[in-house]
Amino acid sequence: MAQVPNLDNAPINLKSLRDQSLKELITILKNIRGKKCLVIDPKLGGSLSLIVQSSLLKEHGAELRHLNAEPVQTDCTKVVYLVRAQLELMKFICSHIHNDISKGIQREYFVYFVPRRAVVCEKILEEEKVHHLLTIGEYPLYLIPLDEDVLSFELDVAHKEYLVDGDTTSLWHIAKALHKLEFSFGVIPNVRAKGKASVRVADILNRMQLEEPVNTSEMGVPEINTIILLDREVDMITPMCSQLTYEGLLDEFLGINNGAVELDASIMGVQQEGKKIKVPLNSSDKLFKEIRDQNFEVVVQVLRQKATSMKQDYSEMQTTTQTVSELKDFVKKLNSLPEMTRHINLAQHLTTFTSKPSFLGRLDMEQTLVEAESYDICFEYIEEMIHKQEPLINVLRLLVLFSITNSGLPKKNFDYLRRELLHSYGFEHIATLNNLEKSGLLKKQETKSNWITIKRALQLIVEDIDTANPNDISYVFSGYAPLSIRLVQHAIRSGWRPIEEILKLLPGPHSDIKRGGFSSSPSLDTLNGSLHGSDKVVDGRRSLVLVVFIGGVTSAEISALRFLSGQEGMAYDIIVATTNIINGSTLTETFVEKLG
Amino acid sequence: MSWTEDQTLVCITQDGTVYRYNIHAEPIEPNSQLSLGADCLTHSVVECIFWVNGVACINEAFQVYCIPDFNNPKPIKLADTGLEDFPLCTAVIEPQYTMSWNVEVLMSVADHVLLVEEDGVQQVGLGIGPLQKMVVSQNGKLLAAFTHDDRLLVVSTDFSSIIFDYTFEKSALPPEQLAWCGLDSVLLYWDDKLLMVGPGDPVSYFYDEPVLLIPECDGVRILSNMSMEFLHRVPDSTVSIFQIGSTLPAALLYDALDHFDRRSAKADENLRLIRSSLPEAVEACIDAARHEFDVSLQWTLLRAANFGQAFCSHFQRDRIQEMCKTLRVLNAVRHPDIGIPLSIQQYKLLTPAVLIARLINAHRHLLALQISEYLGMNQEVVVMHWTCTKITASAAIPDATLLEMLLDKLKICKGISYAAVAAHADKNGRRKLAAMLVEHEPRSSKQVPLLLSIGEEDTALMKATESGDTDLVYLVLFHIWQKKPALEFFGTIQVRPLARDLFVNYARHYKHEFLKDFFLSTGQLQDVAFLLWKESWELSKNSMASKGSPLHGPRIKLIEKSQHLFAETKEYVFESKAAEEHAKLLRMQHELEVTTKQAIFVDSSISDTIRTCIVLGNHRAAAKVKTEFKVSEKSLVLAQSFLLWSTIRDWGCLWRSYRPFVEACVDADEKGEVLKYIPKLTDPRERSEAYARVGMAKEAADAASQAKDNELLGRLKQTFAQNAAASSIFDTLRDRLSFPSVS
Repeated sequence: MAQVPNLDNAPINLKSLRDQSLKELITILKNIRGKKCLVIDPKLGGSLSLIVQSSLLKEHGAELRHLNAEPVQTDCTKVVYLVRAQLELMKFICSHIHNDISKGIQREYFVYFVPRRAVVCEKILEEEKVHHLLTIGEYPLYLIPLDEDVLSFELDVAHKEYLVDGDTTSLWHIAKALHKLEFSFGVIPNVRAKGKASVRVADILNRMQLEEPVNTSEMGVPEINTIILLDREVDMITPMCSQLTYEGLLDEFLGINNGAVELDASIMGVQQEGKKIKVPLNSSDKLFKEIRDQNFEVVVQVLRQKATSMKQDYSEMQTTTQTVSELKDFVKKLNSLPEMTRHINLAQHLTTFTSKPSFLGRLDMEQTLVEAESYDICFEYIEEMIHKQEPLINVLRLLVLFSITNSGLPKKNFDYLRRELLHSYGFEHIATLNNLEKSGLLKKQETKSNWITIKRALQLIVEDIDTANPNDISYVFSGYAPLSIRLVQHAIRSGWRPIEEILKLLPGPHSDIKRGGFSSSPSLDTLNGSLHGSDKVVDGRRSLVLVVFIGGVTSAEISALRFLSGQEGMAYDIIVATTNIINGSTLTETFVEKLG
Repeated sequence: MSWTEDQTLVCITQDGTVYRYNIHAEPIEPNSQLSLGADCLTHSVVECIFWVNGVACINEAFQVYCIPDFNNPKPIKLADTGLEDFPLCTAVIEPQYTMSWNVEVLMSVADHVLLVEEDGVQQVGLGIGPLQKMVVSQNGKLLAAFTHDDRLLVVSTDFSSIIFDYTFEKSALPPEQLAWCGLDSVLLYWDDKLLMVGPGDPVSYFYDEPVLLIPECDGVRILSNMSMEFLHRVPDSTVSIFQIGSTLPAALLYDALDHFDRRSAKADENLRLIRSSLPEAVEACIDAARHEFDVSLQWTLLRAANFGQAFCSHFQRDRIQEMCKTLRVLNAVRHPDIGIPLSIQQYKLLTPAVLIARLINAHRHLLALQISEYLGMNQEVVVMHWTCTKITASAAIPDATLLEMLLDKLKICKGISYAAVAAHADKNGRRKLAAMLVEHEPRSSKQVPLLLSIGEEDTALMKATESGDTDLVYLVLFHIWQKKPALEFFGTIQVRPLARDLFVNYARHYKHEFLKDFFLSTGQLQDVAFLLWKESWELSKNSMASKGSPLHGPRIKLIEKSQHLFAETKEYVFESKAAEEHAKLLRMQHELEVTTKQAIFVDSSISDTIRTCIVLGNHRAAAKVKTEFKVSEKSLVLAQSFLLWSTIRDWGCLWRSYRPFVEACVDADEKGEVLKYIPKLTDPRERSEAYARVGMAKEAADAASQAKDNELLGRLKQTFAQNAAASSIFDTLRDRLSFPSVS
């Protein structure tokens, strides 16, 4: 199975999007004749693996390298840099070229910026006096399909850049990507946004439509009916909790990167000592599609059931005589065996983590924090973690959770915990603390917390859940319904209006805009999610809601959305677009900055 | 001197200088003058042969120069001809018609022709000549030549075959002019007589005054002092209708219309006669109409076509409509006021776009606009040209009035580039008008650079920020940075948060010192402090090799400096204290390294430092660090909990509970270690839970019963049941799956 996902079942034609990106990349390579060394910035390389297999690049005469501080070792006289427009990457390119010059190596250099040229990057190239040596181009890659229903803008640090540095480049990028989508699928008539960044993106998107209008008359009925934009900032609680879905847990413990997880070969039952292998995880894997969104508890049972039934079939095969068609069925089942083994191996590996008392303890604590009714217990637990020098990220995750559920910490505790943290982990982390404070994730208490109100109003804590046959999204966190998805649920069902009071308690403004000349298509407000909506069935397909997360989304949240979309009486298919897929740790890591 | 395709007048003087003018007699920029080459200064140019888009020149030294394309005027020198006498006549085959895509010049010398190219000379057509006059046809395939023995020859341009040979009865002088008329007849001109030779008998015309023949694609324009005539072969369709006594279907159809108009029954009769060939007849009428210059005849012919069409079942009706449209356009430009008498074929060859370009060049904007609207073409070109011309022409009109006039017209086209108009206004020295115009540009990516170029930095910055496009903001930022003194620059960006943040971002990477200046100037002392603090670490990186050296001095100084800066603002008391502690810690670590002679202390945290001290057995130092930083016992215990027991025993005075220690061992999977310490736990409940955590069910149960805690016992039972199940599940699963692999 390949890492490039199969997109045939996507609710909109994502394949054409990906093919377009692929074509553009190949054109770039074709236009530079002969052999060339393609130097890709590592993050981008990961993203590209979702579009193209490296063998195809090699077919076009490209030697592949990753961009880092080391000078490029190659015999090619043409060096093609394919980089994101990031300041720190420019340093590498400059140093490579300076190195070549000092050694008297003559080469042709090409720099392709993704997704577009940036004045600030070129300024650096100019100041380093290499700009005139370069041929500069663009590779307009704004959006990558991660799976049938998930799109990524591939902006890993967008959240931190926006909150801490005030750099809004990513917002423009998102708006541009959405605008490009509109060129393919029509102007999206309803735009709902919650959060500062989201409202800004909606705003820029409108500007773009003014500046470079998508021709509405040619496109017919837009394929996407509604777009819901949501800032991560609105809900920082959810990502900080440990995800309990199968995919979520895989991400928490093993780290899913670009739709694949990398682990020791021995875990997957391959006898190659010390070798790492990549296991692709996407909906092309039927079994994974079935179990990825389920609570891990259930996944274990499902796998056991499947294994048992297969075992049964196998023993029947040995004892009784079979008809040809029965044999056929059996062989068909055998085809799913590699998938079975794969997930049994993975699941078993996961249990080694989930059965640890420290993990269970953390789950308990998260639950306590989210319930927000026993301040002292939480405080002491976190204090103890700091003193024990547990991994900083784990501490920060809980600390952020603690701070947000309480609208910040009382000054005394705030200063105390910060001081202990510095004592325990070193003073260089003052920068991390400063970042967290700037972004409002960890702060001094100024107002009374309204978390309990929000929690009650949106029914975020659900008792008595049945993880096997869930009837609410709260199954993904075994009892906590992710705030972000609750908001989406309301937005789809009835728009913002009925929950305006609650929205006001959450950070950032909200907006609800109707666009284009589609007054005929009823808005979600009037639709009420009922099956009788007049625009529901357009040539037999359900209309689409695009949910955009600015600042990242967790697998568990996507699972919850899939659950919503699969509910009876739901009039919409849901697709997700996100700056990137996150979990609490990867999100927190972006804020960690050591002075040293 | 000649006109080119896009109506540029090209003049070449004797010394080989080429001048180019537009139709308003204004020299065309840039390099309106260029020279053919230095050789032409000494040997003046004798003859020039133009074609629609190029020219070939021959100078006194018989060198041939040519400009193959006026759009990209680069003179090239063709191969040396080696001639000593002037050729009898010359002709040029245009690049687009030759095999090599290069110009070929034909020169008639003695009894043959020289074919001159850029890289060689070739003799062709031996024995054909000597040719007195020759001319190449419009499509470059045929050559008409007048020979010394009074014959008119038409040969293919590769001289492979003679296609036509016409001998003049009366010996004649070579004609003054020779020209192709269309592709199938040749005009010869002597003094007062014009002879047309082609299929059929030659036709003669007589002129009282000298005329000039200008070949066109489908005929010849005949220019005399008084008039311009257009001579072309009468199209077959026209002949079929208007030939006297013609009984061809087309003629009958035309006739039928006439009868119909007169309400005569003969109309029907005529139609019956031609029923079977009605479509051809209609076709012929349309064709005749398209070649017709006379408007009323056009009208009649088209009516005839329309009349006939009504009786045809399958006929593409839009053909007539299409033709009407084209004819209306042609009639419009043929109007004496406009004076572009184009034949239909010329128009097709020219394309409507070029026609419109010519019209706007001639400042016939209204007509151009109407035509482009009529033909459904983009009107942007016309409107844009009009506005630019208007701006240039109306220097006297005040900005506001002019703006209103312009906007009124600009709004015709959606999406027209206001920025381009504004750029033009700026070029014409109307900066204020430019500023007003650019206000209307919806595309920020075009608007902002222009605002910068007209010096409206503040507006540019505002617009860039509004657009949300950070790239534009950077563009403005660097522009202002370059133009203004630092302080003023700081002031500008300080009031614009996005610009400020982006600047800080950039400067963090590349302009550290400058950033410090910025923060100082705006009073963001805490940010300066952070920068200094960061620098202190960078110092340590540079001195990796020399740990424990006096270099720590400057580091500490930097940190202290940042401490004082933090202290300036109330909100940063915490940071200030942290900096103070950090400095203190560094000093102590430094001392420790000196006393222990081991470079392992600097840059570790306080907890780590204490631990290192304990490991080294330096309890006094550890205690000192502890008191100095008021480290709580609780935290110490936890931090040290994983150290070896022996070490901790020595530290025992601080020891209150073994619990954290046990926990640490459990987490680290040190089962052996942990078993030693569990019995030391005093509380049986704690002991029981600890046993449970290492999976020793029996001991756990014992301890629980000791504590007489039933609830705990129950809970334990449950945990163990779950755990056992969980751990055994997969083992069993694996066993079951271990039958022969399928792959």
